[in-house]
Amino acid sequence: MTQTILSARGLVRRFITGKPLFGAPTVVQAVNDVSLEVRQGETLAIVGESGCGKSTLARLLTRLIDPTEGSVIYGDRDIASLSGTELRALRREMQFIFQDPFSSLNPRMTVGALIEEPLRIHRLGTAPERRAKVAGLLRKVGLRPEHADRYPHEFSGGQRQRIGIARALATGPKIVVGDEPVSALDVSIQAQVVNILEDLKEELGLTLIIIAHDLAVIRHISDRVAVMYLGEIVELGDAADLFATPAHPYTEALLSAIPIPATGARKARTMLEGDPPNPIAPPPGCRFHTRCPYAQAKCRDERPELRTPSPDRQVACHFAEQLSLTGVNAAMAARPDAAQRRFALYSHARAAMAGAQTDKTKPTTEE
Amino acid sequence: MTDPSPLLDVRGLSIRVAGTAEPLVDNVSFTLNAGETLCIVGESGCGKSLTALALMGLLEGTPLRVERGSAMFQGIDLLSAAPDVLRGLRGDRAAMIFQEPMTSLNPALRIGEQIAEAVRAHRDIPRDAARARAAEMLQRVRIPAAGKRLDEYPHQLSGGMRQRVMIAMALANDPALLIADEPTTALDVTIQAQILDLMRNLGAETGTAQIMITHDLGVVAEMADKVAVMYAGRIVEAGTTAQVFDDPQHPYTLGLMSSMPSLAGDQGRLVTIPGSVPSPDDMPRGCRFAARCPFATAQCEAPPPLAPRGTGHAVACWHAPLEDFAVGQRREVPA
Ligand SMILES: Nc1ncnc2c1ncn2[C@@H]1O[C@H](COP(=O)(O)OP(=O)(O)OP(=O)(O)O)[C@@H](O)[C@H]1O
Ligand SMILES: Nc1ncnc2c1ncn2[C@@H]1O[C@H](COP(=O)(O)OP(=O)(O)OP(=O)(O)O)[C@@H](O)[C@H]1O
Ligand code: SF4
Ligand SMILES: [Mg+2]
Ligand SMILES: [Mg+2]
Repeated sequence: MTQTILSARGLVRRFITGKPLFGAPTVVQAVNDVSLEVRQGETLAIVGESGCGKSTLARLLTRLIDPTEGSVIYGDRDIASLSGTELRALRREMQFIFQDPFSSLNPRMTVGALIEEPLRIHRLGTAPERRAKVAGLLRKVGLRPEHADRYPHEFSGGQRQRIGIARALATGPKIVVGDEPVSALDVSIQAQVVNILEDLKEELGLTLIIIAHDLAVIRHISDRVAVMYLGEIVELGDAADLFATPAHPYTEALLSAIPIPATGARKARTMLEGDPPNPIAPPPGCRFHTRCPYAQAKCRDERPELRTPSPDRQVACHFAEQLSLTGVNAAMAARPDAAQRRFALYSHARAAMAGAQTDKTKPTTEE
Repeated sequence: MTDPSPLLDVRGLSIRVAGTAEPLVDNVSFTLNAGETLCIVGESGCGKSLTALALMGLLEGTPLRVERGSAMFQGIDLLSAAPDVLRGLRGDRAAMIFQEPMTSLNPALRIGEQIAEAVRAHRDIPRDAARARAAEMLQRVRIPAAGKRLDEYPHQLSGGMRQRVMIAMALANDPALLIADEPTTALDVTIQAQILDLMRNLGAETGTAQIMITHDLGVVAEMADKVAVMYAGRIVEAGTTAQVFDDPQHPYTLGLMSSMPSLAGDQGRLVTIPGSVPSPDDMPRGCRFAARCPFATAQCEAPPPLAPRGTGHAVACWHAPLEDFAVGQRREVPA
């Protein structure tokens, strides 16, 4: 479980966003000195506000883009040094699921051809073998083999995301990265896709790296969570612990902003004033000091290193040990007994319904 | 609970695309008292925005028609009033804000001028007074350095700031009713928290009644006095926030809540709702949830009325509150 499958060392990625005729170009430091280890078989989540560098980090980890500095080590090799057969093997073993898998795919290809495409590119199997594989993949994600002959536009958002998952799984990857894979979906469809992801992860022994902005989804799906702020990881730890006892003020603020779907949850929640600073000119010292309610003089001058104050927790805050921060109040999020009984009724009836439908071997498109 | 004369009294609102068999929004009724916040919650395509647009008289130019219903607001029926009456109301006594502020802000106009214009559209006041009002409104929505911001253009502002400008503009004429259609859906959770706090505080200060449309039950719990859960164009459950969260009775409400991952900790596999919403041109004639409902029986081939279940609580399900339902009783209901 604690074996490392992928590790990032001092990753930096800068983008040039403006090149004036004279003077220095404008540079965004999208990812700044990020080091982390991804453990074999875990689900690691990356969270943070829009623009903090989550997608850039995910792309660096899978070599969809190259780092400006630093390296990514996979199976004791720096992935930047791979080429030819080795690079193709890497592509096979690391796959990406996008928010809308079809925005980047050819709408004139059938779903079957789209799922088969990675197999053809990697020259895996004979044509009949590939077709059988496509049928199997469709079944795995809760669709029907006949769906292979249809076109993307004939599917709902949730079904498309299932197809995106099938395509990502085609080459038998070891690591699957999902960049907001369920964010565009309605709650009921999101739940179906979350279950599928979890089932497949279990069945295939995948390692998942998931970016999502819904913190409840993150809490549910992930083993560990990395919190990013302005290109840096400010906290990383076990999901349950991090939600219960955050150690970085930014994590605390992020958690306090989650609207909790339970009565009595109403509260004044603004811990963070204003917007995140411009990543083109991040604040000196601790990048969070301009919004941090606990900031001291030291925070303005010295950049806090990502330290390991307790086992299984990394924090980049000078005062992590002194602060006593508030996490999610699990008792508040819990359901009252009366409601709980009715949820049990629903759950029971729901299970009976699924059972009845499988008995009749009635094809169910969803679930 | 129900005031003898609510601020807004919507009865039997139905909206249909001409020539289709079943209405998109079907027989929607609710009331709203001064100072209250009602949240309308439901998944994509269930008719939340259509309901709001109909109330604001904004279905003009679409193939959609209000087929039936009334919506009394300060002595005016919003659903049958003449276009110029509605134009006079909109942005004045009743205001609306949308999910994407960029679609309703004029990109070529400084924000101060936009707010001032919104005031002068309904009040005969001099320019500098309108500009002063704009500055005051920007302050009230807690935009830092409000005086300077007046002369900025929308694109110079962040998403959260733009949404504040929208709120400032909507509240500039002290409306009695504010309809907010997913005002925070496009924002980060941290910025959402700021906007929700702002809307709650302004609501308390001004007594403006709010209809807040959202698909997020967390937002509902934090904002609503009353809740209407919509599914495929119908209200399936309505009640106070406590009733809907602590005593949910409609299978869809239960399914929706079960589908949400909990912050309380590991709940194992999510208990889902199977299938997906019916397509608008193929609406079931009975209970619109039946095909996905674990409690459906032959009875559900007829549409269930939104029936009272205690004061202020109403549920549209033949089997509510579900306690007597014997598992194994379920029948497939033809669409
Ligand atoms: N190709 C690019 N060229 C220029 N700037 C970029 C590029 N990609 C990302 N950036 C910038 O880098 C920063 C980090 O972007 P990134 O997309 O990684 O953020 P994110 O955390 O994924 O945000 P979101 O939640 O909005 O998807 C942002 O300031 C962004 O504008
Ligand atoms: N101009 C239109 N012409 C025809 N049908 C429409 C039109 N506008 C909306 N609809 C249909 O009416 C139904 C309800 O739409 P509405 O926009 O009210 O949903 P919503 O609940 O606001 O969803 P969302 O959460 O996605 O905003 C949808 O099925 C939609 O396809
Ligand atoms: S280092 Fe200082 S500014 Fe940064 S989070 Fe910790 S207390 Fe706040
Ligand atoms: Mg991103
Ligand atoms: Mg809408």
